[in-house]
Amino acid sequence: MMRRAAWLLLPALALAFLLLGSGLDFSYVIPKRLVRLGAIIVAGVCIAVSSVIFQTLAGNRVLTPAIMGYEGIYLLFQALLVLWLGTASVTLLGAQGNALLSIALMLGYSWLLQRWLLREGRGDVYRLLLLGLVLTMVLGTFTQFIQLKTSPGEFSILQSLGYTSFNRAQPTQVLYSGLLVAAVAVLVARGTRVLDVLALGRDQAIALGLDHGRCLRLQMALVAVLVAVSTSLVGPTAFMGVFVANIAYALARSARHQVTLPLACAVAIGMFLLAQLLVEHLFNYRTSVSILVNLVCGAYFLALMVRTRGTP
Amino acid sequence: MTRVLLPTLLLLLCGVSLMVGASQMSWSALWSASDDAWLTLTASRLPRLAALVLTGVGLSICGVILQQIVRNRFVEPATCGGLDAAKLGILVALTVLPGAGATGRMLFALVFCLLASLVYVAIIRRIRFTNLVLVPVIGLMYGSLLSAIAEFYAYRHNILQSMQGWLLGDFSRVIEGNYEIIYLILPIVVLTYLYAQRFTVLGMGEGMATSLGLNYAATAILGLVLVAVTVSATVITVGAIPFVGLVVPNLVALRYGENLKRTLPIVAMCGAALLLACDILGRLLIHPYEVPIGLTAGSVGGVLFLLLILWKCK
Repeated sequence: MMRRAAWLLLPALALAFLLLGSGLDFSYVIPKRLVRLGAIIVAGVCIAVSSVIFQTLAGNRVLTPAIMGYEGIYLLFQALLVLWLGTASVTLLGAQGNALLSIALMLGYSWLLQRWLLREGRGDVYRLLLLGLVLTMVLGTFTQFIQLKTSPGEFSILQSLGYTSFNRAQPTQVLYSGLLVAAVAVLVARGTRVLDVLALGRDQAIALGLDHGRCLRLQMALVAVLVAVSTSLVGPTAFMGVFVANIAYALARSARHQVTLPLACAVAIGMFLLAQLLVEHLFNYRTSVSILVNLVCGAYFLALMVRTRGTP
Repeated sequence: MTRVLLPTLLLLLCGVSLMVGASQMSWSALWSASDDAWLTLTASRLPRLAALVLTGVGLSICGVILQQIVRNRFVEPATCGGLDAAKLGILVALTVLPGAGATGRMLFALVFCLLASLVYVAIIRRIRFTNLVLVPVIGLMYGSLLSAIAEFYAYRHNILQSMQGWLLGDFSRVIEGNYEIIYLILPIVVLTYLYAQRFTVLGMGEGMATSLGLNYAATAILGLVLVAVTVSATVITVGAIPFVGLVVPNLVALRYGENLKRTLPIVAMCGAALLLACDILGRLLIHPYEVPIGLTAGSVGGVLFLLLILWKCK
């Protein structure tokens, strides 16, 4: 029942986002909003799928890629690019060059994380969580430090990267990201059963005949690509992933990824749409999506931690 | 060894701190009583030195007190929401009472910081889950929630950008006439030292402390008030400096143990030395400009914290 309501709510929200106060202006307002809607859908799918998969691999419901420092690394990398190449980096590499480099970087980080942390840390969630939170803070400090050395023009470019926003996505970027995410989504959809088995833990997965190492590497790579796409498209989203995944688990009442993954996508997209609608129509741009998401998801995460009282 | 080495190191750092800066200043100019050199020294260098030492001492002692109250090694103003609450308080003071001076703003910061720490301690006590790592995790989440509220509030009043600027720890603003609030830390340090034994007993837990004849609640609240005063005084004058209160007591405890009466002076000196070193580094990195200490101390402290987590929770 709840699930059906969630599915019905989504098109209604999307329509409201497209049409509310547009005056049915098909030449300018609606095409602009379509681009933003595209960014919202692509980013929502990225965040939802990457968080759910990451939680399955890490064997808990608290860690997400954003918390484990992926976004911090991405922002630091962008700051370094601007510092070394100046604003020319945008023209020198092109949007695609930058995106490819970012994806490569995320893949590298994923590989490190998997080799070093997930191997030994499966039991000790809170240590990983604390490591991730502090690492994100330290990376943020490094990024700020590099921003100090950039010129004001470059600084404003970097500053805008640090917030969630749907307004800077370009149509071509949305298109390419959409295609890439669609390809990844096909791979994920074909492997939901593998994910179900991976969720049982390493020993069970091997006992059930899975090549655990290979599957883990593949899924971590997918996560890396998704995080790179979402961060370059709409910016960092911090605790959004935890919120989305846990709401989806609660709604799904099933641990099967065939159910949880689409639900998580719906929750993420709905959340973004709702935040954007609130910003545009209720708060009249006196707040931002980034702040709303941080506020709601941060409060939810804190409540989650306190309520579970340390038993994951 | 320590008795000689540490004070010597501290004095050395103080001397270097006096000499380094955007305007060249030599001792010979001081001897020849050049007005310019004396002005640089008394209006900028000495206040800066005093503020640095006091902030370093104050923040590391705050860390010690909080760690005893919460009974967790990884707690300090930045990992229990106190720092973010103080920022929020200043923000509220700026919008509600724009005419209030530094003292008024500090009172707001103090009240917010104290309330936030009380709520935090209440949450931790309710959890009753003695996990070394969970406690700071909840504190960090709590802090980020508070700063999300601050951002929400600042964005509505169009002061988000300036807020990020002046809340980053930075000693370059410290000159004669606008930093004197920081001297509030002096009485706090004396009080903490006098109560050191009680705080040690506090760290043994409520049951033990009460049976040893300590008024648990009163001592804990006294500790939180001391912390709130220190944190709000530093945030008002120099801004937020994370992780100092965490790293210093932990490193000192690794070597000298936990008898506060004995280790408190060492903690204080190490805190001052760490901040001085970070500040000198920040002044030299992009000379003649400066890197704010919030960034240098934040990086150094953060990396040390990461190492501590990796090493302590094996």
